[in-house]
Amino acid sequence: MVHWLSGGWLVTPDWREAHEIIIVQTRIPRVILAGVVGAGLGVSGMVIQAIVRNPLAGPSILGVSSGAATGAVIVMRFGLVALGAFTLHIAAFLGGLAALSIVFWIARTGGQMTPTRLVLAGIAMSAVLSAVTSLLVLTSPDPQLAARVLFWTLGGFGSAQWRLLPIPVIALIIGLAIMLVQARRLNLLMAGDESAVALGLDVERFRRGMFVLTAALTGITVAVSGVIGFVGLIMPHIVRLLVGADHRRALPAVALLGASFTIAADLVARSIIAPLELPVGIVTALVGGPFFIWLLRRDARSLGVVK
Amino acid sequence: MTVRAGAQTLVDDVTLEVRPGAFLGLLGPNGAGKSTLLRTIYRMIPPDAGVVRLNGEDAWRRSSAWVAQHVGAVIQDMPAEFPLTVRDVVAMGRSAHKALLEPDTPHDTALIDAAIALQQLGAFQHRAFRTLSGGERQRALLARALVQQPQILVLDEPTNHLDIRYQLSLLRFVREIGVTVIAALHDLNLAAMFCDRLCLMDRGRVVALGTPEDVLTPARLGDVYGVHATIQRHPRTDTVWVLPG
Repeated sequence: MVHWLSGGWLVTPDWREAHEIIIVQTRIPRVILAGVVGAGLGVSGMVIQAIVRNPLAGPSILGVSSGAATGAVIVMRFGLVALGAFTLHIAAFLGGLAALSIVFWIARTGGQMTPTRLVLAGIAMSAVLSAVTSLLVLTSPDPQLAARVLFWTLGGFGSAQWRLLPIPVIALIIGLAIMLVQARRLNLLMAGDESAVALGLDVERFRRGMFVLTAALTGITVAVSGVIGFVGLIMPHIVRLLVGADHRRALPAVALLGASFTIAADLVARSIIAPLELPVGIVTALVGGPFFIWLLRRDARSLGVVK
Repeated sequence: MTVRAGAQTLVDDVTLEVRPGAFLGLLGPNGAGKSTLLRTIYRMIPPDAGVVRLNGEDAWRRSSAWVAQHVGAVIQDMPAEFPLTVRDVVAMGRSAHKALLEPDTPHDTALIDAAIALQQLGAFQHRAFRTLSGGERQRALLARALVQQPQILVLDEPTNHLDIRYQLSLLRFVREIGVTVIAALHDLNLAAMFCDRLCLMDRGRVVALGTPEDVLTPARLGDVYGVHATIQRHPRTDTVWVLPG
């Protein structure tokens, strides 16, 4: 690393060029991508839980993940390459965005966009899209498609390259910056809609804006890494136990913790059965799921499950 | 002012004026429109006709934040989903006074500390809000409204969940801090004891408006609540004292 940063002056290479290429071209962008995706999922999850005022919500609740999966499966199924090397990523993002717009539209029809309407619309949308995805896979002539789709939907950072990084990195920086600026208002959402209004927040408008922001961030995240479960659901809970629920502290903390967790999970995913790789979503769910269950059993009150 | 919900008229052509520093009590059976009237003041429900004027300005032409700088509301809306501490909840009251990204100043901290001390919440300010009893929650929500530094306090059934000691101390407290108070109350005797003026509502309309002596008469209580009541004077405070039956 020192050699690389100093332009070859400080340290004389005593390694093979192949190793250098692997580290510089593959490993470093992969670690960065894992960190960015983990941080993005963590902050999205935390903000979505505040928007829908439900601690059991996660980034996938808005239908973005299933929309992205449908977009990706369409590309795989019909072998589309129209948009170059990143066709899959672009299709996943567009799929997520389309699903989200529909959820948004359903939740707003006939009046206010309440938390319950949002969650129900997201669940219904996810169910429909999962069915479409399954249908596409089952009717495919390609027997390998099911395995490839499963692999993609479980998530991973195997496709990391330097030129894939700018969009997620910029999205994370902008998204996190806006969330931090709005942290006080996010706190008000936790007090209930009526209280938030009485405390001076234009709840409808604010919720709409935050919904679009988190959805875009989730969409980009899913597009570059597939569906990585449990990070966006669990990290916010752990952070609230550690630093409290105030978003001014909790948002930076969940970004750091999400990034660390995902980088560690990716390390496990690619080394545990090396030279083969596990989808990182399996690792996060295998670690995250039991941990969540343990949390639930130990302290249901802290999760707001029991009043 | 009039407020409708679908075909139903919740508040029907009501005109009310509250002088600065006065304590107005809204009385009436469930569904009389008391809460709806209060909700137009803290900008939760817009009036379908008429205006809400605060210091001569139309509240619905100003922002939510502007209204929150002038009106503090204590309502039955308890955050329970997230592990907010009592102090987190109280501190939310400063939000309308803060620019984006502006950190809490020593002034904010002092206001929050003072409100917590006044409501005797010091011992559990770092406890989770949802672990408090109903009465403790109510005091925390009052502390939150106080740090808004409002000119007007809006209270919706503030004595719910409170034992008699805290009912009395809450009403005495809000009467003595010198802000204008508009409160929906169920207890007629407490209302008579603390309010300067009472407004008796029924099915969205104002039935009577005036001093407790004027408003609380056996005939009106019979009309509005459908109960027989005897009116006496309280032997010690000399306020109107309603005895059902």
